[in-house]
Amino acid sequence: MIPHTLQITLSIAVVCYFIIILYYLKRKTLELKYTLVWLAAGLVMGIMVFFPELLVWFVKLLGIESNMNGLYILCIAFIMMILMTLTAIVSRQQYKIRILIQEVSLLEKRIRELEERKPKNAGGDGAA
Amino acid sequence: MENQIKCLIIIPAYNEAENIEKVIDNLITHYPQYDYVIVNDGSTDATGQICAKKHYQVLHLPINMGIGGAVQTGYRYAFENDYDIAVQIDGDGQHDVAFLEKMIRYMQEEQADCVIGSRFVDREGFQSSGLRRIGIQFLSVLGWLLTGVRVRDITSGYRLVNRRFIRIFAQDYPSDYPEPEAMVIAAVHGGRIKEYPVVMRERENGTSSITLKRSVYYMVKVTLAMLIRRLSFGVRRQK
Repeated sequence: MIPHTLQITLSIAVVCYFIIILYYLKRKTLELKYTLVWLAAGLVMGIMVFFPELLVWFVKLLGIESNMNGLYILCIAFIMMILMTLTAIVSRQQYKIRILIQEVSLLEKRIRELEERKPKNAGGDGAA
Repeated sequence: MENQIKCLIIIPAYNEAENIEKVIDNLITHYPQYDYVIVNDGSTDATGQICAKKHYQVLHLPINMGIGGAVQTGYRYAFENDYDIAVQIDGDGQHDVAFLEKMIRYMQEEQADCVIGSRFVDREGFQSSGLRRIGIQFLSVLGWLLTGVRVRDITSGYRLVNRRFIRIFAQDYPSDYPEPEAMVIAAVHGGRIKEYPVVMRERENGTSSITLKRSVYYMVKVTLAMLIRRLSFGVRRQK
């Protein structure tokens, strides 16, 4: 089992974790869409800390000797998951940026050509 | 002379201020039958100013995107302006436009979807260094294993595509080091890919985009990209 002091420490940590995320969400620094995986991770962590029996059962199931190691592995798994979603988001954004840049250049050419075709001082506000 | 065919030459240019004027002026004076568009890929030198001063047909990318993104912009332009054939050549004067007419005719005769200007069919002109040729050979064999289509000069940036592949490439074109991967795309779409012998010059000014230091990265990246490209298409029947 997990020692009680550690359980208390971890509980405080999980609570802090949620407070920080909610704080940033409230300030709109984070987009809710991208914090869902963070929140899910926190939820699982919370459950594991408040019901250590579950953690013990799960760790046994995976064949890991020590409970603490199980906790670490769980943490690492979540971090990897979050990193992968981040990479996915970055890739998708890169794709979108690419299309935007290309579209901008195509439009810029059209505008340039339209302006060249337009007679000078057609706007009327030219101080000639 | 193919008057009824609308042909666009796409010239990606990144910091090609030294070469671009010569390449484009040659194109305008000697080959007025072809349209062209320069894709200025966020150059930091005078490329953009030269194009503006000389009133060249140019697309300015506000941010450097790499060769793949630049060439794709050209394909999108070709698609939007309803071209029959798009040709990509390098902005450094390596590729001689004199071959183009024959290549277009060859494309029609062979009913090809894609014609690649190849140094290694007749083995004339600049042949690249030995180590680089081994790399090209490796990628060529890999492409052949993946798709059943053998393209000897698989990294050649001198290629013609027809209307069908203008559309495909406008939507989906690899980002950096695109040539071998683009060939895989063309092959898995069931395109008829042909090689036509051309003579390439060694570049006059500037350096190749692939230095020896980066060639390991290049090989790994391109090999993986080709494999993944092939895998993501799964088992498809050739048309």
